Amino acid sequence: MSENFGEPISAGAAPRTRDSGELTLKFDTGFDLRRIERLLQQARERGGPTPESVCTLNLIAIFFNAGQYERARETLEVAGQIHPCRLVVVIGDPLIEQESLTASASVSRSGGAITIERLVLSATGRAVRHLESAMMGLLRPDLPRVVFWGGRPHGDLMRRAVESADRIITDSGARPAAYLAELAKLLAKGAPIGDLAWARIFPWQGLAADTLDLPNLREHRGNIRKARVVCAGAVGAEGLLLLGWMQSRIKRLQIQILAEGESEAEEEIVASSTCPRPAPMGLGQVKALEFEAPPATFTVRREKGILVANVKGDDDGYCANRVRLPPETPGRLLALELKLLSGYDDLYAQAAQAAAGLLASVRT
Amino acid sequence: MPYAPEHDEIPNPLRPGLRAESAPEPCAMVIFGATGDLARRKLVPALYNLAVTGHLAAAFGIVGVAKSEHSAEEFARDMREAVGTFSRTKPIDPEIWQDFAAGVRYVSGSFDQPETFARLRAQLEELDRTRSTRGNRLYYFATPPSAFPTLLKGLKSAGLINPPNDSRFTRVVIEKPFGRDLASARALNRLVLETCDERQVFRIDHYLGKETVQNLLVFRFANSIFEPIWNRRFVDHVQITAGEELGIEGRGRYYEEAGILRDMIQNHVLQLVCLTGMEPPVAFDADAVRDEKIKVLRGVETFETPEQVARNVVVGQYTAGSIGGMDVPGYQQEKDVAPGSRTPTFVAMRLNVRSWRWDGVPFYIRSGKRMPKRATEIAVHFQPLPHSLFGEGATQPNVLIARVQPEEGIALRFSVKVPGERYRPRTVSMDFRYGATFGMTVPEAYERLLLDAMRGDQTLFTRRDEVEAAWKIVDSILKVTGSPEFAPPHPYPAGTWGPPAADQLLAQDGRAWRQL
Repeated sequence: MSENFGEPISAGAAPRTRDSGELTLKFDTGFDLRRIERLLQQARERGGPTPESVCTLNLIAIFFNAGQYERARETLEVAGQIHPCRLVVVIGDPLIEQESLTASASVSRSGGAITIERLVLSATGRAVRHLESAMMGLLRPDLPRVVFWGGRPHGDLMRRAVESADRIITDSGARPAAYLAELAKLLAKGAPIGDLAWARIFPWQGLAADTLDLPNLREHRGNIRKARVVCAGAVGAEGLLLLGWMQSRIKRLQIQILAEGESEAEEEIVASSTCPRPAPMGLGQVKALEFEAPPATFTVRREKGILVANVKGDDDGYCANRVRLPPETPGRLLALELKLLSGYDDLYAQAAQAAAGLLASVRT
Repeated sequence: MPYAPEHDEIPNPLRPGLRAESAPEPCAMVIFGATGDLARRKLVPALYNLAVTGHLAAAFGIVGVAKSEHSAEEFARDMREAVGTFSRTKPIDPEIWQDFAAGVRYVSGSFDQPETFARLRAQLEELDRTRSTRGNRLYYFATPPSAFPTLLKGLKSAGLINPPNDSRFTRVVIEKPFGRDLASARALNRLVLETCDERQVFRIDHYLGKETVQNLLVFRFANSIFEPIWNRRFVDHVQITAGEELGIEGRGRYYEEAGILRDMIQNHVLQLVCLTGMEPPVAFDADAVRDEKIKVLRGVETFETPEQVARNVVVGQYTAGSIGGMDVPGYQQEKDVAPGSRTPTFVAMRLNVRSWRWDGVPFYIRSGKRMPKRATEIAVHFQPLPHSLFGEGATQPNVLIARVQPEEGIALRFSVKVPGERYRPRTVSMDFRYGATFGMTVPEAYERLLLDAMRGDQTLFTRRDEVEAAWKIVDSILKVTGSPEFAPPHPYPAGTWGPPAADQLLAQDGRAWRQL
């Protein structure tokens, strides 16, 4: 599977230079939480009197090398501005033999208050075993814990952190489609998983549902027989989830998923624009959704930054609606997922279970 | 689009559980009074921002209607300039604007001429063909109220209003003031409802589009700890303030007719009273919410005699003064204001809401022009301690403050011990500020309300009975304060919180206005 499969979680983000206000400590044998707390306090006090700190959640981001964090950095920052948090980034790279332990602290301010308290814990070699307990000790009490799972699991590392989370957010769209099967297993056990690929198909779901709410098309609601999803270049998680969602909502639905054409090049959409735009259609993302309720056929397709819903067989060529895809700023999808801070997303779980079932019939 | 299924209809299998909000249906929006201030400052920038944020249907068009002679291109150019000046997102994105402007049309003509409506119909049909607006119409009356009847008649005669059960929607958005007293509001409601069904009428009060006003509903009904104390057993009184630094900003002609009671109290301030005082609705839908709001308005005791008005209401008018270090003229020196005018620019009053929850708890409300600063807030004052352990007057009663603007947020004032050996209490404030807690840009009130109108959601719009009930309260005051026998408004210098009589209104109850 290609490395650029789907949309990376840091879509459109240029790596940020490190804040000049970042303070760093190195440790020899293990982390010292009191020193890290003091470091954070120093970061708070930089630049004058300490402003109030606003915090609505603990956002824990887990990576297995520094590059992964750099790619996701802006996504986390933007989401953190919208949902003020203590951001604890954990970077563990056991593949580097030499042991090292560092912690850095910095803050971001907004509206006269500190809105992100940022702690970055890094470890390499055998020292990665210290990361989990250090991270757990640095979380703010009484606030929801959301884990942003941006890397791949390495054995049991971080298992306790993930198991104790109120919510785990991943991006199946940035992984091979088979990853959905792993997610489906976890969801079946009740894991509170959120998925950026799921957030990415909200506009498709909304428009498909809106079309069936139009007064002259409501008569077709009970008669949906077939559904087909077309992905760009290869079958990806978004397409599988969209089809899985349709299948979980409508009994005895005949389904088909296929890949057609190619993904969009970045420059096709991101012109010299001053406003955030929908991200280009990445490899494996959804190009079109069709569903048949004889004699009517509904089509929702993507035309650059616009979703167009058409109906044939009722009033021929009837354009039900055209909606703009929301702007794809880094972090918007994560911020969207962070609106749900705890609990189990039933609709997603059902869609993911159905999507996992489709995998066998799909050559990705 | 909010939609209630018919009995025999199959529910939409794709709707349950969706986190995506409904996109508005395709539609053409007609702005009557399109060259006016409201369209330039608020409506068109709001529509543009909806396009920027991806909330506007791509199948959308605007038809501006006004008397001035313009081409569609000139109108679009004016609107671009207005967006450049007044939009919250800047600079203008050329690509989004290009698509937006491609759907802009203009019709010039007098509202009382049938030809104007014939040309409007032609433009709307053209938009249906070229922009796929599908016959859906949203008419926005951004005109003086005197034009409303003419517009309704013109639209009806031209066959531009579809019945409510038609598959193509017709909705009419009507700006305040909705009437100038109870009788005229009733007459206007009758006229509106001869032309449209209540489900098609969206009476707009932009206060209800403000995030913080909507947050009152969430704050009250999503937190269990406040509900048990939100009543006459625990609340001593409620203060609602809606003050503006601004004067009448060249709108002397309008203000002479309106005054503070019609301009602020009948709509914005009474809406705040409703949201503060209402019972929990049985559901969060338009009628359930409005059913509860109207019960509050019906519970407000109206004033039957001039003596009752004199005892409970103070009206004022600003004189020359200074605000923020700048000299400002008095009301009577403003343009288009009659010398010796008796129009009030300030009002303070004491209301009683007769209900099990509130009877006997005074709602003190005040609103005025040329106050020292812009401040709108609701302050719920809880009862003082029955007995103070720490000395008489050592503690202040708890106050919960919902700030609507500026510095939107919620604060709770409570007592703590000052560090040291002695038990010396001090009142401190626990403060939640919207701007600091949520780092997102809050949409303008008009963005939310226009989107709701396009979706057909009437929750944040006022219903016929609500408007009339609010007028009934205000009318009982206007009848007295407008009569020559009643004392003229108390003068107050610009830059103060109203005349001393407003302070006395609370002082006679042993209370005082909050220092803002």
